[in-house]
Amino acid sequence: MVKGHLHKEGPTDYEIELGRINNDICELQAGALTAPIDVGMATKFAYRLYHRASLTGDLAEFEVVETAIDATMRQVGPWADLCLLKANLDFKLHRLADARRDLEMVPGLANVPQARALRADLDLQEGRYESALEGYENAIQENRTWDNLVRLAYFKARMGDVEGAEHLYIEAEEEITAKEMRSYAWVELQRGVLDLTHGRYECAGTHYERANEAYSGYWLVDEHIGGLLGAQGKYDQAVALYERVVARVPRPDLQQAVGDLYVSAGKPDRARPWHDKALAAYLESARRGDVHYLHHLAAFYADVRRDGAEAVRWAREDLELRQNFSTQAALAWALYRDGRFAEALAAMHQALSSGVRDAKLFCRAAMIHLAAGRTDESARFLREAAEINPHYVDVHYPAP
Amino acid sequence: MADHNDPNAVNSIFSDIDVSAADLYDLFGFPSDDSAGREKVLIALTFAAVPEAGVFDTDMLYRIQIAAHPRVEAPSEDERSLETLLRYFDAVKDKYLVELHAAEIRVTFDQDNRARVAFKDFPGGSFQAAADTNETLTIETPDGHSIKAFLGGRDDAFFNDLPGFFRSINYAPQFYNVPHSMMEARELPIPKTLLELEGNHLFNFDPKNPRHGRGVKKNLPPGPWTWKGDRFLKDEHGNFRFVYSGEDAQAGRNVNALIFEIPLSFITESPAEDRIVSTWGESWVLKAAPKVESIPDRLFWLEHPWALLDAIQLDEEMKKYKLVDTDGQPFADAGLSEREDNRQLGANNFWLAPHFIKRLAHLGWGFGPSISALGLHTSFDHDNSPVSVHKTYATPIEAFPRARKTLFQRLNMPDDSWNKNGRDIPLRRPFEIFVPNVCAIDMDTTGTWPFGRRLEDQVATRFLSMFLDMEAELDGQRYHVETLNDQSLWDRAPIVPKTPPNPLKNDKEFLDHFPYLAAPW
Repeated sequence: MVKGHLHKEGPTDYEIELGRINNDICELQAGALTAPIDVGMATKFAYRLYHRASLTGDLAEFEVVETAIDATMRQVGPWADLCLLKANLDFKLHRLADARRDLEMVPGLANVPQARALRADLDLQEGRYESALEGYENAIQENRTWDNLVRLAYFKARMGDVEGAEHLYIEAEEEITAKEMRSYAWVELQRGVLDLTHGRYECAGTHYERANEAYSGYWLVDEHIGGLLGAQGKYDQAVALYERVVARVPRPDLQQAVGDLYVSAGKPDRARPWHDKALAAYLESARRGDVHYLHHLAAFYADVRRDGAEAVRWAREDLELRQNFSTQAALAWALYRDGRFAEALAAMHQALSSGVRDAKLFCRAAMIHLAAGRTDESARFLREAAEINPHYVDVHYPAP
Repeated sequence: MADHNDPNAVNSIFSDIDVSAADLYDLFGFPSDDSAGREKVLIALTFAAVPEAGVFDTDMLYRIQIAAHPRVEAPSEDERSLETLLRYFDAVKDKYLVELHAAEIRVTFDQDNRARVAFKDFPGGSFQAAADTNETLTIETPDGHSIKAFLGGRDDAFFNDLPGFFRSINYAPQFYNVPHSMMEARELPIPKTLLELEGNHLFNFDPKNPRHGRGVKKNLPPGPWTWKGDRFLKDEHGNFRFVYSGEDAQAGRNVNALIFEIPLSFITESPAEDRIVSTWGESWVLKAAPKVESIPDRLFWLEHPWALLDAIQLDEEMKKYKLVDTDGQPFADAGLSEREDNRQLGANNFWLAPHFIKRLAHLGWGFGPSISALGLHTSFDHDNSPVSVHKTYATPIEAFPRARKTLFQRLNMPDDSWNKNGRDIPLRRPFEIFVPNVCAIDMDTTGTWPFGRRLEDQVATRFLSMFLDMEAELDGQRYHVETLNDQSLWDRAPIVPKTPPNPLKNDKEFLDHFPYLAAPW
């Protein structure tokens, strides 16, 4: 049975790694940005900051990384490794155009292996699926690294090639050494997600447990286990685990997840403060000009608040930045919530044309087709959703 | 070092990659000086002292492969063609991949820093032993041999002016902060050279910053990183400036080492015929999945320290590990393979043979004119170029005519002391030395390079001697592998500093008894 994790005595792997990164940062920070800048030290400093931000999941820390990169490049000009880091940072924060610009800052940088893989990621995010696939395949041909393999695995998983994805994940794990246990844990989580989205909860649980054995004390593992518990209807356990995660990583999307679990558990009163807190943080982020939470805002207004007009507004903003099946489906769902079924249908057709096969997407396609009077197609999408994941149930948010 | 900081996956020159226990440094191999009892061979594999000297990384597996065989029949003197060379490589490939079944020693370490030493596929069979570290042990084999072993921290036995070598090949990461992503900014497109080039401001010695490249790095300036000059640098006295300093960059450093003294009769059933012991080392790192799955097997090893092993079981073991680094010949990686991760092939480096020819010609265009400028004769055909040239080749066909003599000439030895048994042993030629990438120990010699590799060999300088014309003479004696180690040559040469390229001896005296490598600092 999958449980949340109370850790063994002694520091966890997460704590050990975080401690090591913090030590490095402490050692480097005095000299890293002091003029004249030693770009080797400054680069190492920026990378350590990035590692810490990635590890802790604290988006505010990415701003610290950005500040360090910008401060260094103001002194030394565009530096390839820093531009690459900046591109990854921008990608992570959904600033796709910026990421592409970063890769053009140093001649030749866009063609180094890591940059080519990132360009394929950008293609995927921008809905150029064939280019993305070609990019991933080329990356693997030139550099059969675990990270390139999981990129393609993710692509295949989204496109419904579950077996192909699973093979690639397994191959990726073969490439990961005992010195990279966090990476191994992360791939195990991806395998768990693949199982979860296909209704194989027990298998998902096994992968999550394995992730925890590989790398103990990682909040991301707990978050995934919380999600699995929720899918299994074990709401109390899921909420308890998620609340522990949020206490460590107070991110709005995680706060919303707690609220959603309360909703699913039939406790809307308990959900409300979590949802309010999440929304406030989403809006504050948008007010600052960040785009990272735009898709969360669209979903939040569509489902939690059932405010179709507001959902459409945020979905369109997100869509302007990245035209892919996810943003198209989010717009379709927002339009559906807004009662604009014909437009919703058109947007959903765009999303479906990507070739993505996903139970949630098909369920929503079924709802939209039904609303548009296309009952046969609706039934077909429901059947397909059930084929992919017979256990899939959307969160039933109460009407506000 | 001979093989330091490669492959790039564990390249600690770059700021974001730590020193790794997987980074193999050197493989030494020579007939043991201990003449008591059976004939023995000494093999020592050294690598980064991580986590520290005498303490081993429990995720690592080290492997020393050993194959004994008669001397290989090499092409004759008058067959100096590319076809002959490629045929030779092909024949050697078959020999190593098909005919020779190397035996091996595998070593892993547990959390208590105890070693498990597994011997596989020796004539007496396969067995394993549990062993303490940092002390000399005698392992008694099931077939009645005694193997001495030392697994622990030692002084780094390599003595070398590594920054000088990197200066000679314009290797930027030694001197500059170089973005890891800029592969083209490692060996910069400036002629390789032994003498500083006039106007080569990126790499020439700077008296105002004398430690540049020796611990001090600058930020790599924007390109182009080329050189537009047309002559070697000379000072007001007409002296060239040597890229080498003769300083020992490894002084005061430690390594971890696996050292074995093995009876030849344990390695082969025909010690009288199998006079060559070819050996190479490999580092393997545990994959992540087995680390999660691992069921403690320590009790088994402790309770059955002499258990005979099933070969299949051992091979299953290797599936849990991933190859990181290999080491056979000094400079096979650093000098000839350019440290690429995918060129860590060890003995199986046959597919690099065409690259080896191209690379040797590329180096020759740098070192050949340098040697000529000093008034010495070079084996490389550089058309009497007055200065080093940066030239690369697309094909070995194009490169071969230039490097023909360098590849085929026999490397003279300074005297006959290397041939301790007075046998009819041909002098070795560079093409035989580097492909395959193994340390081929001739048991009828002292094992001095290139007939093996002894601790006291100054191999970095001997490597350079390949570019000397071994038919030429100095003071009535033919050039030989020690010519460039001769201080009197440099005293007379128009060059500063007046020193052989690399130090002539190690920073610590070697021991005259097993384990031979000096105790750690």
